[in-house]
This record gives sequence, structure tokens and C-alpha cells, in this order.
Amino acid sequence: MSDTAAAKATSPIPVTVLTGYLGAGKTTLLNRILSEDHGKRYAVIVNEFGEIGIDNDLVVGADEEVFEMNNGCVCCTVRGDLIRVLGGLMKRKGGFDAIVVETTGLADPGPVAQTFFMDDEVKARTRLDSVTTVVDALHVIERMADSREAREQIAFADQIILNKTDLVSEAQLAAVEARLRRLNPLAPIHRAQRANVPLETVLGRNGFDLDRIVDLQPEFLNPEHGQPGHVHDEHCGHAHDHGHDHDHHHHDHDHGARGHAHAEAEDIRGVSLSMETPIDGAKFTRWIDQLLAEKGPDILRAKGILDIKGEDKRLVFQAVHMILEGELQREWKPEEKRWSRAVFIGRDLDEAALRAGFEACAA
Amino acid sequence: MNQDFDAFVTAALFEKDGRAVFALGDGTVRFETGETVEAHPDAAILCAARHPSGQGVITGGDDGRVVWSKADGAVELAALTGRWIDAVDASAESGLIAFAAGKQVEVLDAKDSLFRRVFAHERSVAGLAFEPKGRKLACATYNGCAVWFARIAEQKPTVLKWAGSHLGVTWSPDARFLISSMQENMLHGWRIADAKDMRMSGYGAKPKSLAFLGGGKLLATSGAAGAVVWQFVGNNGPMGQQAAEIGHRDGTLVTRVAGAPDKLVLVAGTTDGRVWAAELNTTRQTTMREGGAAISALAVSPKGDRAAWGDEDGGAGVVPL
Repeated sequence: MSDTAAAKATSPIPVTVLTGYLGAGKTTLLNRILSEDHGKRYAVIVNEFGEIGIDNDLVVGADEEVFEMNNGCVCCTVRGDLIRVLGGLMKRKGGFDAIVVETTGLADPGPVAQTFFMDDEVKARTRLDSVTTVVDALHVIERMADSREAREQIAFADQIILNKTDLVSEAQLAAVEARLRRLNPLAPIHRAQRANVPLETVLGRNGFDLDRIVDLQPEFLNPEHGQPGHVHDEHCGHAHDHGHDHDHHHHDHDHGARGHAHAEAEDIRGVSLSMETPIDGAKFTRWIDQLLAEKGPDILRAKGILDIKGEDKRLVFQAVHMILEGELQREWKPEEKRWSRAVFIGRDLDEAALRAGFEACAA
Repeated sequence: MNQDFDAFVTAALFEKDGRAVFALGDGTVRFETGETVEAHPDAAILCAARHPSGQGVITGGDDGRVVWSKADGAVELAALTGRWIDAVDASAESGLIAFAAGKQVEVLDAKDSLFRRVFAHERSVAGLAFEPKGRKLACATYNGCAVWFARIAEQKPTVLKWAGSHLGVTWSPDARFLISSMQENMLHGWRIADAKDMRMSGYGAKPKSLAFLGGGKLLATSGAAGAVVWQFVGNNGPMGQQAAEIGHRDGTLVTRVAGAPDKLVLVAGTTDGRVWAAELNTTRQTTMREGGAAISALAVSPKGDRAAWGDEDGGAGVVPL
């Protein structure tokens, strides 16, 4: 076996899923990524041909075919076209450095992501690197109000590219970011104009890698400024250092986009939980298993870092609908504050029940 | 013969006269006798079948082309620009060739270059199989298999329904049963006479490779730590019967199975690169290759005297049985 073949066999090819409604700037972003002088070999799976064509990269068309499994469970739905195309790509000589899947504006990201966990062959040869969602600053509030798909794509994302920031004021931008955060407290937001985000921002995120769950951003765990329960702690200072002005966010938010935000069904949002008391591992396992079994269809994403009683290592977990992955990660550092935090993003989440269930896991 | 082709071996086949042929992920077709045919330049071969004449192979590529390769060169049979050819099958009995590109299946006649039938499906077709006489064509698709009369232009297919995604399809040699392999680690079968459903489950992986042996009385499949063998005897086929698993080895999976239709020798390839043969009447097992990449292609010659194998890294060989 040659070295490259050995490497190919052992390291799964990273796959980036690019979502976003029509007109947000997905294709611009894709063209931008691919036309960079990257020296890599990419395969791009698109839903329609025509707008993309870059030397050295392979562009494949695919119909978005969602396959339900025989048991009818929505959490087991996968994208049949992806399984077929990825299987075909693996036959290609030389392999690929990365694969990008562009979805249509109407795509449900759930089955796309689940394909990488549910199908053994896809799982063996590829790994889902991130779901990256492109939105545009001018229209995203409107799209969130009228399109369930748009809300779900934002809620599902590992990162959000906030495009066309030059078309709105800084105040509007802040309001948009606040709205995005309410739907998805986990995903970093990258501002962009004409989709000018660097390649390394988009690819190589390891969004589903348990080892990369380093931290769940503390400021996201703290309710937003102006919201009940917000604590002005050192994290605000931290955020201010980075040039964010939370007070202004808050005001503009109220007077600007808020009307829209309330008119729309706030069916999807993120709920952040935290606890200082160590957690009983067995209790937590029972709780999360039952939670995902019952509410899995409504839980788009979840991530957590837990302090388990009697355990020197951090327990990290992530979930996509009913698919749960967890492992004991690195040891807590001596100087590190030991505490547990988790974020659930989903539809119609009962925050009080989630909090009560989580807190009942205390050792 | 042992070779390193340095490209994924998509299929291994034998011509009618017993020469082995390999179809590769670098777009070439390689003959055991040393000839290389550039069937799909700058593309990958996704599927292959023996030509109805018994000479050369028909391949489908990710360049949208369907090509007939013989040792002395290649002939393009069809080209659908921008599409992938996901499946191909051919029948020596009827001389017909079928291929699938997305939701569309086309049928060609090896002896009549003007003949062309197009069968549209609502969802993508992942597998094709001519019934033994070559007059009907089964197309594996979402929620069942569509069965078409291959020569008829205007028709509604007979749809054998079963919820879920069907990836591959095989007829029993007596054409009484149609067996499909599914996305969810199981086989599904239909008795053609009354469309009675048969579920064959218990697999650890997708049972993608199927081979009828022993005059059609046995169906061997991949998808488990050993080769799984179902009995097809009497009116009910495997219904109510337990499958046997042979050559079981923990931690590996059988990826391909093959055999001569009227012999009792089963050949299997595994994820850990082994190729073994078993005599099903004596249970004697012989390992013919060990170590290397997962076996991705396997075939037994028409006489049943040789096997050809290929792996995911381009290793390939022909061994006597």
C-alpha cells in the first residue's frame, strides 16, 4: 500500500455542508473559496449546475433525495443522493482534500447531517466538518419570519456567515446578530461582504468533533443584555474588549428588528444550562437518553461540557436530533473552574423542564 | 496473476471465454492478458457488466458515458453530459443493455444501434437487473422495485413496493423471486407470482453483494462477519428459514460474494482484504489472499474454475479455485 493510499484509508475526508436561503450568497461564497489559490483538490456537490466551474475541482450535481428508513423515524432520515455520490467519489483516483455540499434554500439540514452518522460507509470514509449557513444582513430577519427552513438552517449551523453587511447600518447589523444568537447561541457569526470570508474560516471547523468542544462561549450562556437574568460579569468585559457594544445592541434591537422578531413564531431557539454542582454520570445518561428519545425530533443540535462527580476528565457530548455522541475528553486543569454547561437548540423547547431535568442530575 | 492497478477496483468480471477484466476508479478497463483500455478518460468507472456478446465489458462512469471496452479498444454506447451512470446491467439472452442515470433508466440493444428505451422513475435508481431471460428489467429505487418490459416503449411498470431505499436487485435463476438489498442492513424479497414480501434481516452492514449458487437453491450475500447463505427451496424460498453464516471472523465484514451459478463453491472477499473460497457441501475453506485493502470486486469464471478479485487500493488478482 502506498503512503497516500494508507493516509486515504485512515483519515476520513472532511465534508462541509453549505446551507442558506436563495440569494444569501452561497454560490458566491463557494466560487470564492474554490477560486482561491489553495492548491487543494475539492469535490463540490451542488443541487444545480451552471454557476460553478473551477479547474482541478470536481463539481457533481445531485438531487436532494431524502430517504426515510423503514421504521419511519424522522431522526433516521438521510440524504440518499449524498450516500450515492460520496460512494462514487471514493472510487475516484487520488481522492479529495475536502468535499463541499451545497444545499438548496429549502433543504432541511437534519437529514444531511444525519447521513454522516447513520450510514456506516459514509461514516467510515468521510466526516462532517461543519454545517455552515450563509445569511444576508438585509433580508435575514424577513426570511426568518416567513421561512421555517431559513430558521432551521440558522439554528442548525456550526457557524454563520453574515453576508452583505455593507447593505445595512451597524445598528441593524447588531440587531441581526442578536436575533441570530437567540436562535443559535453556539455558532460564531462571521461578517462578510460579497462572501469575503477566508477559506480557513469556512473549512476545517471540526464542528462535530468531540475533541474540539473546547469551550461553550460563556457570554452565550449568560442571557443577553436587557434580558431577565443577565449578569454583568467578567465575560461582558471580555466581550467589550473585542469591540462589541452590548448596550447599543440592546437598544437598537428593541426599536429595530424587534417588531419582526415578535411577529414571527419563535418556535426555534437555544436554551443554555449551567450548574456548579458536579453531575451524577448515571443520572445524566438516563436523562439525556430519555430527553432525546422523546424530544429528539425537535432538538436540532446540542452540545455540552460536564463536570462528573468522581471523574477527573471532562465529559463532552454533542447531539443531532436523536444521535448522541459523548466521551471523556481531557482532564480538568488544576486552575480551571469545574462546572457543567450545555446548550440545546430546538423547536418549542420547554426551558423550565430542561433546566429542572438538568439540575436533577446533580450528584 | 497479481496486480497493483493503483486505483479503486470498481468491478471484476469474466468474459464468456474465461478471461478476467477489471474496471477501475481511474477510468480504465484492464484485461488479464495485459491490455489497458482508456474507457473513461479523467473520470471514474462507477459500475460495470459483461457485454451481451460475452466479449468485453460495459462500464458506466462519472463522466455520464456508457462505454463498451474490448481488449482492442472502446466504443461509446451513450453519453449523458453532466450525469453519473450509477448502474448498468446486460443480458446475453436478449442482447439488451440497461443503465441508470439518476431517475432515468435507458435500454439499448447490442445488435441495433437505433434501439433506445427510456424509463422514468420518480426517484433515483440505484440498481438494475435483467430477469434471466432478459425480457424484463428490475430497477431498484426508493420504496420498491419497478419491473419493466425492457423492449416496450410505452408502459406502466409493475411496482413491487416496500418502504425504504432499495440499492441493488437480483433475480433468482428461475425468475420466481426478486431480491433487493436495502439501505437499512437488510434484504427484501418478493415472490413474483403473488408479490408476497420476504424480509431477510439480521445483517451488521448493508448486504450489497448477492450471488445465487447451487443451481439457484442457495443465495449467498455479503453484509456480515461471514458470508450469509439462504436456502431457496420449494415454493416459499427462504421464508421461515434461518440463514447459515460461513467463514465468520469477528471484526471483519464480508464485502463481496461470488460463485458459479450451478456449482457449490462460494468465494468471498472481506474488509480486511481476505479472499476465501468454501465448498458448501464439505465446508472446506481455503484462503486465497490475505492482507491489504478491503475487497471491492469479486467474480467467478463461467466454468467456475477461477476467481478474480480487486480491492479499494487497486490490488487485484486471478486465482484458481
